[in-house]
Amino acid sequence: MRRYLSHPFWQGAIVVVASYVAFEYVIGYVLPVIGVASAPVPSSVIVEYMLIVLVGVLLYMSADEERWQRFREPIRATMVQPDRRTVRGILMVAFPVLIGWLAYERVKPSYAAPATLRAVHPAPPNQLTFRGETIELTGLENPLREEGSMEEHLAVGKRIYVRNCVPCHGDLLDGQGHYAQAFNPVPADFTSSGNLPQLTESYVFWRIVKGGPGLPREGTPWDSAMPAWETILEQDEIWATILYLYDQTGFPPRTWEEEGGHE
Amino acid sequence: MRAPRGTGIVLLALFAAAPPALVGQQDAAAAGKVVYDRWCAECHGEAGQGDGSAAASMLPRPRDFAQALYQIRTTGSGQLPTDADIRFAIENGLPGTTMPGWPNLTDQEIDDVIVYLKSFSRFFAQGPAPEPLDFGSDPGGGPAAIEAGAAAYLTMLCEECHGLSGRGDGTSAPTLEDWRGLPIRAADLTEAWVFNGGSSVEDMHTRMLTGLDGTPMPSAIDAMNSGVVSPDEVWQLAHYLASFGPREMPPLREVIRVGRAEGGLPADGGEEAWAGVEAFHFPLSGQVVQLPRNFAPTVDGLWVQGLHDGIDVALRVQWNDPSNSPDPNWDEWQNKITAALDLDGAEPIALDSAGAPTVRPPDAVLLQFPFEMPEGTDRPYFLMGDAREPVYLWTWDSETGVGAARGRGLDSVEPLAEDPVAGEATWEEGRWTLYVRRPIEVESDGLDFVEGTPTPIAFQAWDGSSAEVGKRSSVSTWYYILLEPPASSTVVVTPLLAMLLTGAFGLVLVRRAQDRRRDR
Ligand code: HEC
Ligand code: HEC
Ligand code: HEC
Repeated sequence: MRRYLSHPFWQGAIVVVASYVAFEYVIGYVLPVIGVASAPVPSSVIVEYMLIVLVGVLLYMSADEERWQRFREPIRATMVQPDRRTVRGILMVAFPVLIGWLAYERVKPSYAAPATLRAVHPAPPNQLTFRGETIELTGLENPLREEGSMEEHLAVGKRIYVRNCVPCHGDLLDGQGHYAQAFNPVPADFTSSGNLPQLTESYVFWRIVKGGPGLPREGTPWDSAMPAWETILEQDEIWATILYLYDQTGFPPRTWEEEGGHE
Repeated sequence: MRAPRGTGIVLLALFAAAPPALVGQQDAAAAGKVVYDRWCAECHGEAGQGDGSAAASMLPRPRDFAQALYQIRTTGSGQLPTDADIRFAIENGLPGTTMPGWPNLTDQEIDDVIVYLKSFSRFFAQGPAPEPLDFGSDPGGGPAAIEAGAAAYLTMLCEECHGLSGRGDGTSAPTLEDWRGLPIRAADLTEAWVFNGGSSVEDMHTRMLTGLDGTPMPSAIDAMNSGVVSPDEVWQLAHYLASFGPREMPPLREVIRVGRAEGGLPADGGEEAWAGVEAFHFPLSGQVVQLPRNFAPTVDGLWVQGLHDGIDVALRVQWNDPSNSPDPNWDEWQNKITAALDLDGAEPIALDSAGAPTVRPPDAVLLQFPFEMPEGTDRPYFLMGDAREPVYLWTWDSETGVGAARGRGLDSVEPLAEDPVAGEATWEEGRWTLYVRRPIEVESDGLDFVEGTPTPIAFQAWDGSSAEVGKRSSVSTWYYILLEPPASSTVVVTPLLAMLLTGAFGLVLVRRAQDRRRDR
């Protein structure tokens, strides 16, 4: 084992395989499981990344004469030594097949939808206009936390939510309302630890006020069915709905201190 | 949480009547009230009367627990449900309504909330616990059973409500009301995934024997007892129903593949020409984004098929709509929907002195494309574009037929001067079939389909007889349509060439290395 690990050829092989696993599986499937927003990498991008990794490994190996010799040694041995005949034969078939398969992947007719790399939580603006009134978002807190009765705010928020948001975000707040399947991208799941607890209330306020049409261009703005609620709801109703979202899911909002420490 | 006014009285009543066994019930009811207030009260109302704040925007309305009229039962018509029945409804929800299942509740919470639901009605406290019916056993399916079932479908007059093909277009369909007098659809039997009580043969058999209390859907028990049908025939009827269509909602595929037509494009939407062409299903939602919204639309999905011949592209779109609007037979239905559903600020259609609607809107469908092919993944706003990025609309309605238009938002549609879109639609047994056709490239506008490249497409639909006009429609977001390019040899040649080259290169390398070794 040791012997393999300290050998340049196997080091290179491990780096290549590990990179592939990272690009193919970790980014797309493991990160989302541990709560980091991410999406599978398209296969053409993976091929590009892998080429870069390969060139990098070769550059590193050839930078030092002795290392280069040791790196090449097993390759050369496989090519020439009589006792490695079988391995040689297998590789001589496997390698062309791999290349042929990669080529096929490139030219085969594709009936897949074009990949849209959507930023799920794009950076919010510093301010927004609500029916013509300018509101600073940076440092903005939910005003209802300081005034009136929390019980009443929550009752208002629940009433607003059930009439307006249930069709998409669902009774369980899990993004599976009875119309959710008609929308692509799907409505946000508020019970996911990747959404509400990662966001300040002012961010959520911005998203509710401006909806899909208010997303910055990198969010492929015109796809999201999320309505711009400023035309339908009052500011206080939106703040009350935000209180309800956090209360019903049991998540605390992200604070401005956390937000500051993050940047 | 605020204490609901009614509950104190309900709990008091429970206490007053309490034999010792009920003391545990009181704790459960109190725990159930906590669950209920948190998750259920906003729809079902604080006192369980189905009158929560948003009830008017829901059809069917949330259940009124004071009436104790439950649909999902294993007990006879008009009887109370068992606890297991109520649990089934809570766990699985009632698909196709605003109430999905509640997988977030624990077993204990469901037990408690059931006790609390039952406390809303005095009926549960009276008399013995309800007993499930004997459902007999399934004699089995197969072609013979299905044929017998088809006969029973007619003998038992199912088609009067559900229609011959099961799409809810029977002659009585426009008159159906639930116990409140609100309009109710006879279920579309071809969309089993929105059945309230499950879509398996057993589920459907159970629903037939029990009926759906509170709705016009009758129980088959009387017909069985009076000898109109035998118990086996009711099972066979269930097998027949299972042959109406897929049990689950068809999986969503984002790209409509439009194959090349061998031997010319179909000239209309007729069955023979389109049989065997792959069909793609797209669910639609009520338009709940801009005012006035449509909270309970009729059209909940459509099927799309496509063919092209390199010059024209032809699409066949099919969707279920029980009414061929405008149809005066549906006047009363239209009035009832207008009165029952929260129109969200839309002007209700006025009635004349005889009580008939002054306007009978047509049925309509839109196919939507970008007006100019956009850069990258950018697309116009999915609700018919905006001033900056307009959309290209293939329009159809049951009064004016097929046309082409430019859309700049939901309320800005202007017909195109040069209209290259042709087609027609027919309505049969509760289903519209629309055939549309257009050249792949049109000089006068920017929408040119490129073979092999996906073009964005979206849909919208209206049912005139349910007073759906203007923004009160069914909608989808963007999907894609892709015209298959002619079969090309590169798919085979390129990989082969790549393999040959690598193989040859490998051989040369090995040969050289071995030569060099021998030389040394
Ligand atoms: C027509 C369907 C629809 C309705 C109705 C709707 N939403 Fe959304 N909402 C979406 C979709 C789709 C997304 C995900 C795409 C996006 O981020 O824009 C979303 C995203 C959001 C987000 C962003 C969450 C995040 O993690 O970034 C918030 C907050 C939100 N919705 C709140 C609401 C509230 C509050 C209401 C009711 C007042 C509501 N939505 C009603 C469709 C809807
Ligand atoms: C968003 C609104 C909404 C919420 C929230 C809601 N329901 Fe419902 N519920 C409905 C509607 C609508 C119906 C009637 C559907 C129909 O008639 O087909 C219904 C029907 C029912 C039924 C009747 C089943 C039958 O056999 O007829 C039960 C039981 C029920 N709900 C329990 C609950 C419980 C328990 C909760 C809370 C955990 C809850 N509901 C929350 C809307 C809601
Ligand atoms: C008087 C009209 C009427 C007749 C006759 C009728 N039905 Fe129905 N049926 C309805 C209505 C209305 C509903 C929908 C109830 C709802 O939405 O909650 C329904 C629902 C159903 C469902 C769906 C059950 C579920 O789980 O949601 C099935 C299956 C069904 N009917 C089968 C039949 C069969 C089979 C017959 C003949 C034996 C029949 N119906 C006769 C009116 C009728």
